[in-house]
Amino acid sequence: MPQAIMPPPSPGLSRKAAIVGIGETDYHTDYQAARSRAPGYEAPSVESLSLAAFERALADSGLSRADIDGLSVSFTFGGPPPMEMAALLEIEPGFAIANGNIMAGPLPVVCAAIAEGKARTVAMIFAVASRSIGKQFGGASDAMAEGMPASYYYFHPWGWSSQAAHWALMFSHYQATYNVREEDLAAVAMQVRRHASATPQAVMQTPMTSTDYMASRYIVRPLHLFDICLVNDGAVCLIVTTPERARDLPHAPVEVAGWGEAKIRNRKLDTMVRQRLRPQMQEAGGQALDMAGVALADIQLFEGYDASTIHLINQIEGFGFVEPGAGIDFCKDGGMAVDGRLPTNTGGGNLSGSYMQGWSQVANVVRQLRHEAGAQQVADARLAMTSLVQTDQAHPLIFARGEN
Amino acid sequence: MPERRPDRALGPGHNDFWQWCAASELRLQRCATCGELSWPVVATCEFCGSTDLAWEHMSGRGRVIAWTTFERDYYAGTLPIPWDTILVELAEGPLFLSNPKGFSWPDITIGMPVQVAFVDCEDSAGPFRLPVFERGQEAQGGD
Repeated sequence: MPQAIMPPPSPGLSRKAAIVGIGETDYHTDYQAARSRAPGYEAPSVESLSLAAFERALADSGLSRADIDGLSVSFTFGGPPPMEMAALLEIEPGFAIANGNIMAGPLPVVCAAIAEGKARTVAMIFAVASRSIGKQFGGASDAMAEGMPASYYYFHPWGWSSQAAHWALMFSHYQATYNVREEDLAAVAMQVRRHASATPQAVMQTPMTSTDYMASRYIVRPLHLFDICLVNDGAVCLIVTTPERARDLPHAPVEVAGWGEAKIRNRKLDTMVRQRLRPQMQEAGGQALDMAGVALADIQLFEGYDASTIHLINQIEGFGFVEPGAGIDFCKDGGMAVDGRLPTNTGGGNLSGSYMQGWSQVANVVRQLRHEAGAQQVADARLAMTSLVQTDQAHPLIFARGEN
Repeated sequence: MPERRPDRALGPGHNDFWQWCAASELRLQRCATCGELSWPVVATCEFCGSTDLAWEHMSGRGRVIAWTTFERDYYAGTLPIPWDTILVELAEGPLFLSNPKGFSWPDITIGMPVQVAFVDCEDSAGPFRLPVFERGQEAQGGD
């Protein structure tokens, strides 16, 4: 199926679309149900998850099905084609696209479509049933595929595989470079868990101590279980419309102000391990800031792609919020807390909230910029950044609170 | 007895790499146009896109710059757990992901010198020789 291509960042596309509705599935409750497997339990499907998230987003937006004239579907491990999904959701969109999978790319595609008048109000759906299909990230079944980074398949004969192993290599090098101990990294897992403890949606809410962290089993040394995100089932729906339409709706609109994209073109292992994708983050971050017309120092909260603890630090450092090597101390000193200099992953992120491939971070930013984040609310939040940085590319997004 | 390993990538280019390994030679592709070394195997230079590539013999010397040890089995019992991997910076520049031979975690340290060695292995395509790394000599006269 042809996939939409992310439009290049351009100031002309800044704030031409706003998120006016969000819906997420019950990550915590669904996880518990999947674990306990009570009699009669049925694993969720991409379809059931999508419908649940859509119903919530629609209700949240204050719109009706007839208002939805666009549909964008993003499924990482398969799902129905757009018009089948439209029938399931009981909508009749004139614009319907399959739109990538992980976050960053899909949202700019929809913003451009709205700016170009292809649709006025688009329901964007992401759904994944990784847990229910027994998806393992890594191993011999992760075979060579077109467009997949070489590191994902090439090193099988040396027994090296999995996303987690990428982060582990990075951290062993980081430790030697900056004289960091394993227990130092615990601060990141504990900070994100503190956020999750205040978030009813989050899968893992039990407070974590450094002793708990050190006692958690190793997956890929030097990383522990608690350094790695939670593969889970779920769906996120965003309702996106024009800023004009957004003014009449109940919530403060959250405008998409900027985006960026940079990929590793060569020396992948070197860029990943020694530079931790800083060049890509600098490039893509600069694009997004320029498009939004703001400075990095203006960003009030950050939602990073915490596939692992060390990778969240990579992003805090790589975009330039702190100097390289200073990220863990920044976290220890409370810099990532709700009242810190850069509140980070205030909904529990992927480490303790749920791994929704970057989409739950956007939903959390919407709650923050609407000032509906409850106990986790960042005071007077008006400008936020999310980041999807994989092992070979960086995709930041900048969001601004609009007026209605 | 050859060691059982998960499957290699095979095909044009890849086969050449493994043939050199069978002769106990670690060779990577150097671009005649821009002079850069590419690794893993490429069809065109990852720096300039040229197809003018030649297999250059590496010294086999390097140093460890990162490591990870798998405590979780990703290969359905093919490999023992824990399983050590190291990232070696070859003297010629490229980073080469491999395994330590004759030492293991926790004796892997960042910066330690290593030297390539070849071990007899087999995968579903048959026997092959795999480049791994033994402890090496400290470089003389600085690095």
